[in-house]
Amino acid sequence: MHYILLQDSSWATFIGRFHPAIVHFPIGFLLIGALLELGRRWGKIAVSEGTIVFILFWSAISATFACVAGYLLSLTGGYDADLLNNHMWKGIGVAVFAWAAWFVKSDRFERAIPSIKVIYLPAILIATLLTLTAGHDGGALTHGEGYLTQYTPEPFRGLAGLPPMEEKPTEIKPIADVQQAVVYSDIVQPILQAKCTQCHSASKSKGDLRMDQLALLAKGGENGPAFVVGKGAESDMIKRCLLPENDDEHMPPKGKPQLTTDQIALLSWWIDQGASADKKVSQMTVSEAVKPALASLGKEAPAGTGAAQASAVLSVKVPKANEQAIENLRKTGLIVNTLSQDQNLLEISAVNLPDFTDKQMELLQPVAQQITWLKLGGTKITDAALQQIAKFPNLSKLHIEHTGITDKGIAAIKPLPYLEYINIVDTKVGDEGLKNVAGMKALRSIYVWQSAVTDSAVSQVGRQNPNLLVVNGFNEAAVAQFLKAGDTTGKEEVKKQ
Amino acid sequence: MEKLRKELQHATLLHQTRRHFLQSVGFGLGALGLGTMLDSCGTSSAADSPVGNIAQSRIPQFAPKAKRVIYIHMAGAPSQLELFDYKPELLKYHGKDCPAEFLEGKKFAFIQGVPKMLGPQSHFAQYGQSGAWMSDYVPYLQTVADEITFLKAMHTDQFNHAPAQLLMHTGSPRLGRPSLGAWSVYGLGSENQNLPGFIVLASGGQQPDAGKSVFGSGFLPSVYQGVQCRTGGDPVLYVSDPSGMNRDMRKQTIEAINEINKQTYEDVKDPEILTRISQYEMAFRMQMSVPEVMDVSKEPQFILDMYGVKPGEGTFAMNCLLARKLVENDVRFVQLFDWGWDGHGTSKDHNVEGGLRQKCRESDQPVAALIKDLKMRGLLEETLIIWGAEFGRTPMQENRNGLVMPYMGRDHHLDAFTMWMAGGGVKQGFSHGETDELGYYGTKGRVHVHDLQATILHLMGFDHEKFTYPFQGRNFRLTDTEGKVVKEVLA
Repeated sequence: MHYILLQDSSWATFIGRFHPAIVHFPIGFLLIGALLELGRRWGKIAVSEGTIVFILFWSAISATFACVAGYLLSLTGGYDADLLNNHMWKGIGVAVFAWAAWFVKSDRFERAIPSIKVIYLPAILIATLLTLTAGHDGGALTHGEGYLTQYTPEPFRGLAGLPPMEEKPTEIKPIADVQQAVVYSDIVQPILQAKCTQCHSASKSKGDLRMDQLALLAKGGENGPAFVVGKGAESDMIKRCLLPENDDEHMPPKGKPQLTTDQIALLSWWIDQGASADKKVSQMTVSEAVKPALASLGKEAPAGTGAAQASAVLSVKVPKANEQAIENLRKTGLIVNTLSQDQNLLEISAVNLPDFTDKQMELLQPVAQQITWLKLGGTKITDAALQQIAKFPNLSKLHIEHTGITDKGIAAIKPLPYLEYINIVDTKVGDEGLKNVAGMKALRSIYVWQSAVTDSAVSQVGRQNPNLLVVNGFNEAAVAQFLKAGDTTGKEEVKKQ
Repeated sequence: MEKLRKELQHATLLHQTRRHFLQSVGFGLGALGLGTMLDSCGTSSAADSPVGNIAQSRIPQFAPKAKRVIYIHMAGAPSQLELFDYKPELLKYHGKDCPAEFLEGKKFAFIQGVPKMLGPQSHFAQYGQSGAWMSDYVPYLQTVADEITFLKAMHTDQFNHAPAQLLMHTGSPRLGRPSLGAWSVYGLGSENQNLPGFIVLASGGQQPDAGKSVFGSGFLPSVYQGVQCRTGGDPVLYVSDPSGMNRDMRKQTIEAINEINKQTYEDVKDPEILTRISQYEMAFRMQMSVPEVMDVSKEPQFILDMYGVKPGEGTFAMNCLLARKLVENDVRFVQLFDWGWDGHGTSKDHNVEGGLRQKCRESDQPVAALIKDLKMRGLLEETLIIWGAEFGRTPMQENRNGLVMPYMGRDHHLDAFTMWMAGGGVKQGFSHGETDELGYYGTKGRVHVHDLQATILHLMGFDHEKFTYPFQGRNFRLTDTEGKVVKEVLA
């Protein structure tokens, strides 16, 4: 019950996050306590017993708080379970032994158990040692194992028995000539390196499986071999990748970077083709299914049309808009929404303000940086408003349909670097205005139905800017053409009879 | 009263001892947890925006691609095998006994014993640059093939209409969960203050089998439920003032009622009272705005021709035109239901030959017109259109009670059916998923109902795992504990 209670609570997380700050108190206090104790025993300095008792008391208190906060932090999840368990018990040990040392030192039990003083030195020693190792585990939990010694320079590196430093390729580099690539070393191994070997290699071999060398991969782990030569679909490593992400057996574990469909296809194909260590792509049979996956290896960006379509403006970082400014806008009846949780960009709409005029454009000035979607369709704005709109550097979508704007006004927005979408349906903008904005760097689509733009300008601009979608709408003739589509139904039926 | 309260306070203080104080310090941590638990019951969520304010949006996890949705539900379930899922192999098996492996351990709504396989009743060809397979039942949709993303291997868990419709729209086959439209308005807010954020239009002569729960608000405040408008006559019953009541008098009445409601809210703090207040205000504004937006007489003749409608009709085609007008006025979610697609083969109207062809004739042109109309207004790229039903139909011919049916018909099928999406953030001219050669199971790119819902929420900017509402002690979400975004269809 308590577990559930605390798990999702923002209070628990809030307190938990103080753990990395609080832990430094018991570490500092205990070390200074131990150091003073040493100095006192060697007779170097004069410290009263009372001082040490006082320090031990605060060591124990702060260690206890660190334990509680640490437990709450652990509930947020995302930590290596074994390491976390070690760290937790060592941390609890620190608190317990610090309390023990304090109890004994402060003469509380002397009358009851006269010989209890003998445990004082072991207690303070164990507490100090545990502090050091628990602290190290804590560092490993936060920064990853091996963080401390990752950059050990060479003479010491060899002495400590660490393997030579290697650069971990986390991103798969594009292959210049896919046909000449060696399938295992150029395609399979980089995928395994990027997605699997963090947990399945020399430093950490979960389930006794190592995936950093072909021989070890073939040998497999505690659940048997990772693959069956020639049978990709029956191979454990492929099956696990294909399981639903929530399945306990799924790999990589939920929350870790997952293999793409293409990557699974490539691994499976390599196994199907005999899991060879040195064959090149050209020496294997390339099936239809794996062709697109292979093709994607040659490209800089991952395959898929999505990458090209993502708006550049979404990666622009702007400061948070002034709360008061937003509140003022809302009071006038404008809709102001934050675009998403990781951005401060704003969407503003005047759908409830059909009487919005050029004069009110001034109101938008305080959030000029943040406006990215602006909807002023069907309002009373004119060309003057576009002068203001030109000052919104991060604008990407502009709805100014059903307004009184003309060619003269629209020229003003030409310099906007991120503008992707313009809607000038039912305005007085003509061919000149269209040609003026057509060359804009980021512009992807412009809608010109019922404006003064002519059909010939639409097709001319379309030809000159192949990446720009210029959409005009239907008229009577086009509808008549569209309605002909239905005639085939009748024909088909005749044919059938 | 005041005296009693003071007396109680005094008595309580007298009983507060040092022991009590220590106890409450000792249990401080537990109290913190309790505080959070109470939070989740909705008693004191100060950080959250006020529920019941329908215009308020929650900040989405991603920038939305689809700002509005038009969901077209063909209630009863059209046959994918006659419309989009082309299975030439099935024709070869036409009239032969269904293989035993298709029947073992399966339950059907009506099929009994060993049915015969039923070949496609329509003619297929590929259309558009994308080469989408479509039949001659949908000649108009062929002209917009390159705007559409097909989901060819949809599957569901329910083989009866009502639970399957509930699952499709609320994520659960049982009553009580909010519908997709309610979640959408809860998430992104309602923009046009004069119109409901979630409007439902039904055609085909009957309501969907699952009733109003398919557009209900479940445990969300009732302000988020779908508002059903009639297509003929008064769009909303009793929206016009009765004779003898003028608008000023109506305004005063509503203001007085709301004043009383506000006082009651101050006393009992029931959020449903806020809903009631805002609905009174909305209704007053709707008296002007709804008749205006639902009136198509001002549309140019060629637009009416494009949809194939005449003013005053209450048809599916009219609902498509109205859907366009509504999203043009920034209504967040428009739900269309069309009844009469249940092609069992029991009658002239309910089969997969003439009956289905007739239903297509009534709906194909307006759906294609809707896509084209939205596109030319610059609205398609931010409006998501979803077309589909609660399940699909079997590759076997129905043999209800072991008899031969009077018309060619198919039973309910949950292992494979086709849906399609167009606009807001999905690929153009794309097909995802495949079924086996007889169209019985999805073999590639299977998409469960929950996966579809996760994808729709994703397109609207929400991570379906984080988009939750606390109810009865736990956070609920549309996709329950399932669902995976179909990344392949995202543009």
